[in-house]
Amino acid sequence: MNLEKMMELPGAMAAFTYNDRGEMQSHVLREGTELTPQVLDLLTRSCVANLAIAGMEARGWEALTGQVGFQPLQGFSVVGLEWSVVVNGNCGVIVKNRDADYEAAFNALKTA
Amino acid sequence: MHIVKQLMAIPGVIAAGEYAYRGDRFSYLGALTDEFARMASILCRANTLSVNMQSEIFDSFAENCGCRPVQGWIARGANVTVCAVGNYFAFIENREELLNDVMTIMRAKVGDIGDDLLVNLYAKLGGDTKEALY
Repeated sequence: MNLEKMMELPGAMAAFTYNDRGEMQSHVLREGTELTPQVLDLLTRSCVANLAIAGMEARGWEALTGQVGFQPLQGFSVVGLEWSVVVNGNCGVIVKNRDADYEAAFNALKTA
Repeated sequence: MHIVKQLMAIPGVIAAGEYAYRGDRFSYLGALTDEFARMASILCRANTLSVNMQSEIFDSFAENCGCRPVQGWIARGANVTVCAVGNYFAFIENREELLNDVMTIMRAKVGDIGDDLLVNLYAKLGGDTKEALY
């Protein structure tokens, strides 16, 4: 996992990896950001939870409606006031909203 | 133009709608049935409440860290993406640049979601905004 590569995404403030229990494994923080490792550690736990919930919803939606294209889940993003966190698998990136390129972030995480 | 109509005018947007936080009202356009739109509204409401709860916890660890109030969320599927901003949602195809365009329009048209998101949205319905919402 190349976190430095993730940090090249537009507006990237932080990039991180976590295990399946949501425990942060590694991280890179851009200098000057107000984010702290403590916040990232909490964030990684919510990432695992959100991915699990979204995965369940995708599976349930397809089963109930017969519509396709929701599975497999390719990621989840929470859009905050100033920044968004975009995650997939065991990796995530935080990007400034004003510079955010969500597609680039999801694509980068897909190949990460 | 109404946000939902504006979203539906974009090629690749499958459906879009607006839902109430109480879950008892919704409106939509596009390739959904009434029942599917009702289910989508409930799903969006549940996820929005969940990420708002999470942001409040983050805020208690690091006040004004830039997360709260949550503006929305995105669930990226294999071929379809679900976006929610405030009390609006959109089901879109995974076409190049479509997600960024839709998010830009939704953020611009819905505007910044305020600190008291749930009360504000509930107030739109004309309800008692002091009533416990969740």
